[in-house]
Order: sequence, then structure tokens, then C-alpha cells
Amino acid sequence: MIQDEVESQLSAMFDGELPVTECELLSRRIDRDENLRARWSRYALIGAAMRSEPVATAPSGFARRVTAALYGDDKSRRQRGGRTMFLSVAVSATMVVTVAGLSISLLRDAAVVARGGDATQAAAAPVRAGAALQAVSAHAGVLAAPAVAAIRRGSNGEPVSYVTPASIANPNTALRTELADFIVAHSEYSTPLMRRNLLSALVSNEDAADNASAGVGAAGAPASSAPGAFDASSAASASSH
Amino acid sequence: MGADASDLSLVRRVQRGERGAYDLLVLKYQHKVVKLVMRYLRNPADAEDVAQEAFVKAYRALPQFRGDSAFYTWLYRIAINTAKNALAARDRNPVSYELDLQNQDDSSDMISRLKDPETPEGLALTEEIRDTVNHAIEELPEDLRTAIVLRELEGMSYEEIAASMDCPVGTVRSRIFRAREAIDRRLREVFDGGLGRTEELV
Repeated sequence: MIQDEVESQLSAMFDGELPVTECELLSRRIDRDENLRARWSRYALIGAAMRSEPVATAPSGFARRVTAALYGDDKSRRQRGGRTMFLSVAVSATMVVTVAGLSISLLRDAAVVARGGDATQAAAAPVRAGAALQAVSAHAGVLAAPAVAAIRRGSNGEPVSYVTPASIANPNTALRTELADFIVAHSEYSTPLMRRNLLSALVSNEDAADNASAGVGAAGAPASSAPGAFDASSAASASSH
Repeated sequence: MGADASDLSLVRRVQRGERGAYDLLVLKYQHKVVKLVMRYLRNPADAEDVAQEAFVKAYRALPQFRGDSAFYTWLYRIAINTAKNALAARDRNPVSYELDLQNQDDSSDMISRLKDPETPEGLALTEEIRDTVNHAIEELPEDLRTAIVLRELEGMSYEEIAASMDCPVGTVRSRIFRAREAIDRRLREVFDGGLGRTEELV
């Protein structure tokens, strides 16, 4: 009964008299049902024979081959398209990652340059600062033992502050340069005003040292009393900003 | 809805992206197109290839089909042009035929086909189909025969047939279906009887 209805629909669809919604459903059924396909094809033969048109039977599987030629093409095109799309996505992703990496690298370099130094300087700055502190300690131990003794210490024995010796018998220019480098290396963390104060203090310290070396000042005077004493703890607190 | 309108309905469905609708058009016109192309190429194998190419070309050109002419008229032109192009290509490159002549069996078969475009089997089948259909129509009850003749020969829509026969459209649909079923039953007997196989039509 259902099959009769389907075949009745097939006949109506062949004549273009079936509603569109039913046509779509029936078309899907015809695609799966070889008997319906054969019947549809024979309906065409019946009409041709009635109209005395030339009648010939197409070779076996002709319609299927046409379908394969059409949709096989589409399928391979879709596969090619899929492969192309995959490659495009892969290439795009690679380019995005590369550009992002380059951008980050360039931005870092630009930031370093904007702060007054290049990446190498920035990397070398802590090392240089450490060397400067070591040099300060060495000078304090070897050249200005009395000044070291004058360093104020807290209850736990740690120095309250690190004070450069005010009177150095033989002031070392390299040491001052290293201190200046230390300040510059940490300038990125300090305000311009603080930086200027620190550099002024360093210059004053240099003047005091010069005076001492000239015999004007008293050698071995307590560092804390030196007018241009450079307090490293100030620099440390400045760098914490 | 006439035959042209029913084809146009299928065409519109194809244009909307319904692939199955084009399959139905191929199933509907495959016999006519193969027969048409055979007039030019004579060789059944070549004719099948060219007919297939014509359907593929038609499918690809279908988005531009506006329905100014009947679908089959449009398809007919494409098939003729494709066949002529195939003939011209074959004339430009006759080497394959010389090679074919080296094979005695193939060459004799081809020459016989070129002399007679219709193979005896094909002619017999064609005659058998026509006779079967005509006899089946003669045996139909009057109301069924009238309905199917008005539809297939006059190209009338169901509504027009209903008005002509003074009956509901549903009755026309039923009569045409029953008429086709009766004819098709006889036709299947022919195919199953040895002249052809049912699946050859698919």
C-alpha cells in the first residue's frame, strides 16, 4: 500500500504534479532505490514510444556514471579544497606565530632602547652593578679600613646602610665609573629627580675624594660624616620604585 | 503542468542545489540523448562517452539556464554540439582508428557498426518496446487510456485533463499512474524476457 503510494507519487513527480516538499523527500528515496530509478527511466521510455520518438536504451549504469563524473569531480575538488584550506591554515598559523615572536622581540628591544640601553646592556647591568658593589667592598677593605670600621651596624650585625668611604687615599676613577654605571643601569626604576640626586651625590663624593687626595680633607674621617656620602641603601630603595 | 514545466521544476530544484533532481533529468533523457548522439558518432562506446560529456556540460551550464526554451531543447543543442566537437576531434586525430584496425576482431566489429548505426539487438529492442507500449495502451480501460494519452501526447496538465474529463485532479493522477503501471508491467516482461535487462535502464 505504501509502495503504491510511493509509485503514485513517482508518476506525479514525473509529470511535475507533485508538491515541492514531497518531491524532495521522494528524490532522496529514488536515489537509494534502484527499482524506483528504473521505473522513472521506463516512464520516459513509455512516453517516447507513445510519441513515436526514437527509442533507445541507454547503456547499463549510464546515469550513475554521469552522477559519478559530476559529483566525483565535486568531491575531489572538495578534497583538494580541504587540503588547500588545511595548508592555508597551517601557513597562516605559522606566519602569525612568527610575526608575533618577531613583534615581541622587537617590542622588547624597543623598550630597552627607550630606557636608554640595548638588550646587552640591560643584561649586563646587574652583573656590572654587582661588580661595582664588589669593588666598593674591596676598596673599603683594602684602601679605607677605618671607614669600613665606621659602618653602622644593626643589632643583628647587618649594616644599617652601605656607605662609601668619604676619604679614599687614592681615589679610583674606574670605581666611580662603575658606580655611575650602576646608577644608570638602575635608572629605569627611578624617577628623574631621584636619579639626578644620586648622580649629584656621586659627583659631590668625587669632589670630596679629590679634596682628600689633595690633602685638604682628613684621611680616615668617618664616612658617614662626609658631606657627599653616597648611601647605597638610597639607591636600593630608589630601585624598588 | 506540461512536460516542459515539469522539467523546469526539476531544473529549478537543481539550481537550488538539489543534486538528486539532476539525476532524475539524466534518467529521463538518457535514452533520447544517447540515441541522438548515435546519429553522429555511430559507435555506441563513443556515443555513450559523448552523451555523458553532454550531460556533464549541461549540468555545469545549468546555473545559466533561464527557462526561455524547454530543457530538452536546450540539452539537445548541447548534445549536438558536443557530438560535432567529438567528430571534429576524431577527424583531426584518426590514429586511434588505424591502431584499431590492427586488431581484426575489433575492426570488423567497428566497421559493421559504422555501416549500420543500429545494431540488430538495438533495432529489435526498439521495435519490441514500441509494440509492447502500443499493445498495452490498447488494452487499457478507456478512462486510463484517455488520461495517459492526454498527458503524454497532448502534454496537458493534470488540471487541464481533469477539466477535460470532468473529474477531480486526484482521479487524473490515479488514472495516469495506473495506466503507466499497466504499460510498465508489460515493458518489464520484455526486458526480463531477454531483449534487455531492467537494470540497464538505471
